[in-house]
Amino acid sequence: MAISGFQQKLQSVAGKISSNKYLKAVSDGLMSALPALIIGAFSTLLSGMQFEAYQNFITNTGLKELLELPAQYTTDMVAVYAVFFIAFRLAGAFDKDGAPAGLIALMSFFVLTPTAVMEDTSVLPFQFLGAQGLFVAIIVGLISARLYVFIVNKGITIKMPDGVPPTVAKTFTGLVPGILIVVLFTIVSFLFRMTAFESMHQFVYSFIQTPMQNLGGGFWSLIAMTLVIHILWLLGIHGMLVILPIYLSIWMPLGVENLDAMAAGQELPNIVNTAFAQLFMLLGGSGATLGLAIIMTFMAKSKRYRMLGKIALPGSIFGINEPLIFGLPIVLNPYLAIPFVLAPLTAVIIPYFLMASGMITKLAGAHLPLGTPAFFNAILQGGFVILIVQILMIVVTALVYYPFFRVIDKQALAEEKAAEQ
Amino acid sequence: MKNILLVCAAGMSTSMLVNKMEKAAESKNEEIKIAATSGGDIKTHIEDADVLLLGPQVSYLKDDYTKQYGGANGIPVEVINSLDYGTMNGEKVLDWALDLIN
Repeated sequence: MAISGFQQKLQSVAGKISSNKYLKAVSDGLMSALPALIIGAFSTLLSGMQFEAYQNFITNTGLKELLELPAQYTTDMVAVYAVFFIAFRLAGAFDKDGAPAGLIALMSFFVLTPTAVMEDTSVLPFQFLGAQGLFVAIIVGLISARLYVFIVNKGITIKMPDGVPPTVAKTFTGLVPGILIVVLFTIVSFLFRMTAFESMHQFVYSFIQTPMQNLGGGFWSLIAMTLVIHILWLLGIHGMLVILPIYLSIWMPLGVENLDAMAAGQELPNIVNTAFAQLFMLLGGSGATLGLAIIMTFMAKSKRYRMLGKIALPGSIFGINEPLIFGLPIVLNPYLAIPFVLAPLTAVIIPYFLMASGMITKLAGAHLPLGTPAFFNAILQGGFVILIVQILMIVVTALVYYPFFRVIDKQALAEEKAAEQ
Repeated sequence: MKNILLVCAAGMSTSMLVNKMEKAAESKNEEIKIAATSGGDIKTHIEDADVLLLGPQVSYLKDDYTKQYGGANGIPVEVINSLDYGTMNGEKVLDWALDLIN
C-alpha cells in the first residue's frame, strides 16, 4: 500500500533525525541543564508574582533579594550549563569520557566571552552567559567536543607508562586536546576582537540567533511547528521527539528572555516559547487531547471508549496521552486525523491572538518539566487569567473533537450491541 | 530472574505500562524485573536486560537498537503492539515478553 511505503520512508527519516548524534547532543545537553533552569524559574516566579500585598511583603522584609538569587546563577547563566552538558553528551555519543570534553568546552566558552572593566576591577558580565549566549554555547559545545573526539581518536594524548593508576592517566588524556582546542578558540576570540563585533558572542547574536528567533518565534513558525509535530504523530512517529532539538534551541531561549524581563520588571517580549507550547498545543499531550479524554470519560456511549477514557484521563492531565494515541487509536485513523491537527491549531491560535492584541498577558516563559499538570502550569505561567484561557481551550478542543468522536462512538456502540445479541 | 527493559521517548507513558506489567508479574512463579527508560538513558540499563521492548512511537529506533544490542549474541529487540500499548494491557505484553526471552 502507498501509505505504508510512505510511512516507512518517513519513519526512517525521522529515525535518522532523532538519532543524529549532534542534534541529540543538543537536546540531551539542554535537558541535562533543565534542573538548573527549573530552579531558576521557580525563583523568578516566586519573586515576580504580581500581587501587590505579596510584593510589598517580600520587598519590605528583604525576602525579594533572597528569592531572586537562585535565578541569577541559573536562568542568567544557562549558556554556561548548556555548553558543558552539550559537549559532555556529544563525547559520550562517541563513547569517549564526557567530563574532559565538557571541561574543555567550558574553558573555550569563557575564552570567547568578553570581559569588562569596572572601577579598575575586571568583571565577567552576565550578558552573554544567559539566553543571549545560548547559541554560542551550542556551537562551541559541539565543535570543541567533536575536536576532542577527533584528537583522542588520533591518539594525540600523553601516554602514561604502565604502572600509573588509570585514574591518574585519565586526567592526562584531556590535557593535550584541551591545550590544542583552547589555543584554537583563543585565536578565534582574538580574531573576533579585531572586528567591529568585538566578540564571537555579539556576532552570533546579531547574525544567527536574533534572525532565527525572530523567524522561529513568529506566528507562522508556531503553525508550522504544530503541523509537523501532529502530522508525524498521525503516522505513528513521536513528532515531539523528532523536532525536540529545534524546539528546545529556538523556543527555550525565548522563554528565558521572558523570565529575564520579568525579573527586571520589564514588559514580556515573546508570545511563543516552550511554556506556550506546553500550556496550549500540548494541553493533555500532543493533539491537545485533554478535552477528548474528558468527553470520552463522561459522554461516550460505548463501553470500549468510556473504559479507555478512564484509563487515559489521569495521564492526560499530566500531558501523557499514549493510551489515546495508540488505544483509540489516533495513529492512521482517518476519523480522528482532522481534529487531531485542528484541535492543537485552534488551541494555539486563539491564545496567540489574545496575547498579540494585548488582551491577556504573555507567559512568564518558565520551561517546566514534562509532566507538570495542566491548570497548575497555567497558574504558574500567568495566574488566573491564563488558567481561564486554558480551561476555555479545553472546551474549544472538546468541541472540535466531539463530532468526529461521535461517529466512531456510534460504530463501537453498534458493534457492542451486535456482539451482545 | 528475568529482566525486561522498555524504552519510549521520555520513559513516562511506558512507566504506566510497567506498573500494569508488574501487577501481572506478581502472579507468575518467577522473579521478573521490569524497567522503563528513555532512549537517552538506555546504556545504563541495557546490560542486565534479557529483552528490549520499544514503545510504538519510537518504532523507528528498532533497526538502530537491533544493530547495537540485538543480533546473534544479543537480546531480542521488538516493538510493542500499539493497541496493547494504548489500552495498557500489561498481562498480554508481559506474556509476550516472556515468550521472546524463551
